[in-house]
Amino acid sequence: MLEIKNLTKVYDDGTVALRDVSFSVSPGEFLVIIGLSGSGKSTLLRCINRLIEPTEGSIIWDGDDITATETSKLRHVRRQIGMIFQHFNLVKRSSVMTNVLAGRLGYTGASSLFYQFSEDDRNMARKALERVGIADQAHKRADELSGGQQQRVGIARALMQNPRMVLADEPVASLDPVLAHVILGYLEEMNREGKTVLCSLHYLDLVQRYASRVIGLRDGQIVYRGTREEIRRMTDDEFREIYGEDAVRVSAGRG
Amino acid sequence: MNLSNTMGSPKGRKAGEKTSRIPAPAARCASFFLPGLGQILAGQLKRGVLLLGAMASILTILFWRVHLLAHREVGAAAKYIKALGRRPLFVGLLSLFTVVIWVWNIHDAGNQTKPSRRGGAGIFICILVAFFILGWQISQIDLYKMVTELPDAIPPLSKVLWPWKAAVTREVEEISAGLNILIGCEGEVPPIPEEVPGKPYLNAEPRCGELSRLDENNKVIRGSVLHLTGRGFVPNTEAQIWWADPLGNKFRPRQAGEYVTVMTGPDGAFTFDLIMPYRLIPPTAKGPQIHKVEARQVTALGNLIINDPLKLTLERMAETIFMGMMATLFGIIFAIPISFLASRNLMSGSLATMALYYITRTILNIIRAIEPLIWALIAVVWVGLGPFAGIIALTVHSIAALGKLYSEAIENIDQGPIEAIQATGATRLQTILYAVVPQMIPPFVSFSIYRWDINVRMSTIIGLVGGGGIGFLLVQYIRLLDYRAAGIAVWFIAITVAILDYASAEIRRRFV
Repeated sequence: MLEIKNLTKVYDDGTVALRDVSFSVSPGEFLVIIGLSGSGKSTLLRCINRLIEPTEGSIIWDGDDITATETSKLRHVRRQIGMIFQHFNLVKRSSVMTNVLAGRLGYTGASSLFYQFSEDDRNMARKALERVGIADQAHKRADELSGGQQQRVGIARALMQNPRMVLADEPVASLDPVLAHVILGYLEEMNREGKTVLCSLHYLDLVQRYASRVIGLRDGQIVYRGTREEIRRMTDDEFREIYGEDAVRVSAGRG
Repeated sequence: MNLSNTMGSPKGRKAGEKTSRIPAPAARCASFFLPGLGQILAGQLKRGVLLLGAMASILTILFWRVHLLAHREVGAAAKYIKALGRRPLFVGLLSLFTVVIWVWNIHDAGNQTKPSRRGGAGIFICILVAFFILGWQISQIDLYKMVTELPDAIPPLSKVLWPWKAAVTREVEEISAGLNILIGCEGEVPPIPEEVPGKPYLNAEPRCGELSRLDENNKVIRGSVLHLTGRGFVPNTEAQIWWADPLGNKFRPRQAGEYVTVMTGPDGAFTFDLIMPYRLIPPTAKGPQIHKVEARQVTALGNLIINDPLKLTLERMAETIFMGMMATLFGIIFAIPISFLASRNLMSGSLATMALYYITRTILNIIRAIEPLIWALIAVVWVGLGPFAGIIALTVHSIAALGKLYSEAIENIDQGPIEAIQATGATRLQTILYAVVPQMIPPFVSFSIYRWDINVRMSTIIGLVGGGGIGFLLVQYIRLLDYRAAGIAVWFIAITVAILDYASAEIRRRFV
């Protein structure tokens, strides 16, 4: 479904964020990317839907090389890929409803320029909000919601795109452990419905619980690849490979 | 080997500390000849340069002021002595401080060679005091004048502070009767006036006499006494006595320290013995001098009339408020597109756009640096006096100020929502409408209302340089020395600005 070949990103000031990264993603997977802050996880995710332009390499979506496509084709690709963010990235002063409806922008035309959406879109939005359990918050301003509620709005927005794949950039890093499981639970639900999930996470216990496959990044390079079973059997050496020599492993319990 | 480390051990030095290249006595010597030099040689470059700069400025300004105080004298010593004589406190105190600073600087130079004795702000406080003394003299602060001139200033100031007497008057209806009086009883005596029933009547016996005058020792010689008889006035009411000279100048004579008033009896009649008032007869007067004596009564107090100052003030205040509003609207309209050009995050696409960014920013900064009052002077030369010139001036400045504020708001928008909207597949225009515009509205509204507030304030005074509005009126009244009218204008300016201030703060609080 998605193939990344030799992806490299060098920023203007010389920082090398990604170095020759290659991997592929099959439909229905729950792929988790792990690594230290600054290892390139966010950059990688953003290169996939070209929020960040790669310096070298190619991104192949459904067999098409989209590394350099023009805007209208890119639009078609982007609307098939939903994205949720660590800091929720809602439009703070707009209502929850407007934020969720914004998920349909890839599919709507000129009417959206006047903030007009079709009845179908609105129904879809209401259903999405019900699904994440915050239908009663629909007309509040986005910044009046708590962190967990805001991330749910983010998920509802992604759902509106009816995406084939969902990118999640540290979706639970700003949330408490209970909320983290709730949010990842939604992602797991979406995964069971057939959406491919590409998620970056910090904590290994979450990775062990949710991931079907894991990629570990360090300094922009892939240093670990593992399946669900292999993650649970990860050795200390492999751990230090990903997180560096100073890393100490803290685990509450195996399994 | 390091000479400066006679006190501490070499290992105790922190990394990066400058070592002194010279011993303490050498530093003191250097600072004696050139203040700050010793400090520089001891490794404290900033301190030394500051001391040198401060000393040089103090001495230069002191010499300048001394020269001004004694510009007729020749030779430095003579000038100094003359200046000291004219302003002993200033010259003496400043010289004292200069010497103190110089000596302190020598001691300080020695200190700077020892790592443990560095720092010390005392000498800089001393320098500050010296600059304060200089500033006092340069700005011609004169506390004595403030105190002694205050009593003379109070009457006009109190008229400005409480001007309401001039705001309204009442219509009055008056009845009066008068007759002619001949000065010096030579020639034809004026006749007794005709008595008409139902109308007021005044007679005097005699109908000629001498005016009061001053003799060679400036003592008053009383003039002739006229026995006045009045009839047909309103009963039991006050009547005023007025006098008119041949030129038509009318005034109320005074007797026993008071303006002459008579009280009519129940029959509407009165009698009074009037001493002919003091009036100079011009030397060029020819022929018989006929003056006039009158009795006047107020019969009815009519409606309140709004006087001109109040009427004009209200009109001009309306003009002023609209000036402020129009200038703000024009400012907003033009500033929005210009602010896009001045935003770094929108303009960093190519070299050409960056050049445009720098040019726009520079032009905006220059325009902002020139106050609206000065722009008004230019505008008046261009389109003439009046509110249009004021609006042009305020608009120009508003565009520059709002352009800068708006562009800063644009540069501070959060990238996150923009990323999120782009990730849904939105077009550029959709991204702007859904992610950029909602973030920009609160600061835009806030800045616009802030600017409106400033513009109304500015428009009240832009008339001082010809820009129309209430300032125009105010400066005219002051020039005419009509302090009460000026006071009315000042009061309305204060009231209006206070109301608009409060309104704009409330709007910003609720909206933003």
